Amino acid sequence: MLLRYIARRILYVIPQLFGIILVSFLLVKLIPGDPAVMMLGPTASEQSLAALRDKMGYSKPLWQQFTYYIGAVVHGDFGSSWQTTRPVTEDLFQRFPATLELVTFGLLAAIAIGFPLGVAAARLQSGPVRKFAGYYGLLAGAMPDFWLALVLIYVFYTRLGWSAPPLGRIDMAVAPPKTVTGSLVIDSLIAGDVDALSSSFGHLVLPVLTLGIVNAGPILKMTQTTVTRAFSSEFVRYAEMCGLPRRVVLRQAVRAALPAVVTIISVLYGFLIGGAVLVEIVFSWGGAGQYAIQGVLNADVNPVLGFVVFSAVLSLIIYLVVDLIYFALDPRTRG
Amino acid sequence: MAESTKPILEISELWITFPAYRAEAIHALKGIDLRIDQGEFIGLVGESGSGKTTLARAVMGLVPPPGRVERGRVLFNGRDLSRLDDDARRAVLGRELAMVIANPRAELNPVIPVGRQISNVAYYHLGMRRAETDRLALNMLRAVRIPDPERRFNAYPHELSGGMAQRVAIAMALICSPKLVISDDATSGLDVTVQAQVLDLLQRMVGEKGAAALFITRDIAITAHFCSRIAIIYAGEIVELAETTAFFERPAHPYSIMLLAAFSHSPALRARWTRVPSDGETATTGGCTFAPRCVRRQNRCVVEAPTLRHLTGGRRVRCHFPVESDTA
Repeated sequence: MLLRYIARRILYVIPQLFGIILVSFLLVKLIPGDPAVMMLGPTASEQSLAALRDKMGYSKPLWQQFTYYIGAVVHGDFGSSWQTTRPVTEDLFQRFPATLELVTFGLLAAIAIGFPLGVAAARLQSGPVRKFAGYYGLLAGAMPDFWLALVLIYVFYTRLGWSAPPLGRIDMAVAPPKTVTGSLVIDSLIAGDVDALSSSFGHLVLPVLTLGIVNAGPILKMTQTTVTRAFSSEFVRYAEMCGLPRRVVLRQAVRAALPAVVTIISVLYGFLIGGAVLVEIVFSWGGAGQYAIQGVLNADVNPVLGFVVFSAVLSLIIYLVVDLIYFALDPRTRG
Repeated sequence: MAESTKPILEISELWITFPAYRAEAIHALKGIDLRIDQGEFIGLVGESGSGKTTLARAVMGLVPPPGRVERGRVLFNGRDLSRLDDDARRAVLGRELAMVIANPRAELNPVIPVGRQISNVAYYHLGMRRAETDRLALNMLRAVRIPDPERRFNAYPHELSGGMAQRVAIAMALICSPKLVISDDATSGLDVTVQAQVLDLLQRMVGEKGAAALFITRDIAITAHFCSRIAIIYAGEIVELAETTAFFERPAHPYSIMLLAAFSHSPALRARWTRVPSDGETATTGGCTFAPRCVRRQNRCVVEAPTLRHLTGGRRVRCHFPVESDTA
């Protein structure tokens, strides 16, 4: 039953991906900029430029270029980047774990801040916590993440000197652990490498804090709203009439609000895979978003398309997982 | 026995008021007096908006905000629940004073199996082990005649029919053997045939537990007949209070007769006792609240409010011109 559902969902991924590739292919082609000029420089002769365009297939009609690209993608070939001169797949497999580590820990921090505050704000009708939650929701929504990142760096690195320098994921002098999950922190834990662990964790703190503080806003708001609604719902009122203890009623109300919170978290996750790019740049994180932006700026088409496909697949996986979580959380969705 | 004379519920001169923004406050209940003895069944009948549900909430000490008790008090088993602290009130609700809800499919928790919800009430009130309360809950499911109780124990509310869910609500209300059960229009959402079965079950089980009951209803015909006394509530006031047999034989208040006529199959009877107030016609301050809808109103009714006065046979009626037996 469940397996069939998952299989069907995965089957739907194919047309979805096709549509995503088509749209992003056309969009990327709309961006002005000639890769041949970028590659050969401003002094290249018209002849050599034309030869390079021919070689890369850019002189062919758009639909031919597209079918050629799709054909290659089906075989797992996303082309190569002229900037790194490496296959896009290799580049992405190297950079996506960096982004995922950042985004995952960032969201965990956001949940750790936003969820309890949201529940507290819903439970307390007034008082300092409620006020703080109200202002926090407003502020977090108005704060650009790259700005907050710069402020945090200024305070905790430049002034106080508490945090690691905002350069990459691990100290240059420390050997990274053997790759298992792609997250340096988790891999150093697995390897039992204390130096690598403390260095990679130190580098992770500020960017994760940045993403956490900014993205806790929507999680807080969503939690507060849904828990408040659950509190005024009929079944909580009935639980009160049954004289169930306060903590039990609270637990039931929070439990009822979980699906909505899971939804907002999944939306944020899908968004942050590409949306954390400014934070990546500020911390020289070397993530996938940064890689894609470099591609856009330099008319390097393949990295951009590769990034789009990778993050689309990731988002689709996330949404599938979210649906499975729904099934676990709410018996009414189990058809 | 001293105990049998002590009422389980004593409502005296209860006024409940909802403040309104830039308007006159709304009085949901205006001086309600009602007493229920141990083991007694009382029917409280009135239309929507008459204050029935507010009364039920007030008995539990849970007047919905921003409403507040302006005057009077409610004593349940000698205690005013609205003055108890939160934990003490929780210990009484569901344990000694239980509520049978009207719409259990919406009011039961949608993500907890129903058996667990029944079991929870006992678990948090009786201090037993989970295994024991689960067994108790299963027995309750059997007692309320739910077919295949072992399987239904793990069902979620949305998987049950309305009648089934109503039986679950009855099981939840009665699992701790409360002293007073309030049923707030408990069967109003059910098909007529199921309604009769469920009501029958509710009445029988409350009786078996020896509990008193307050049956709040809109449907005078099917609920009230197994109560010993009937109270008719209109616009926050009790307008008639009588023994059931006496009431059905000779209803005295024009509103009572209107209610009874509404359930009769005679359009002529209905028409005779129904008056539609003309545009903008409302109850005058100081007059009888029912006057605009009363077919028997006279000049005195719009200037002087009637009191709940005694008639023969312990009956009480709030009317200047109560209906004599032959006119009904």
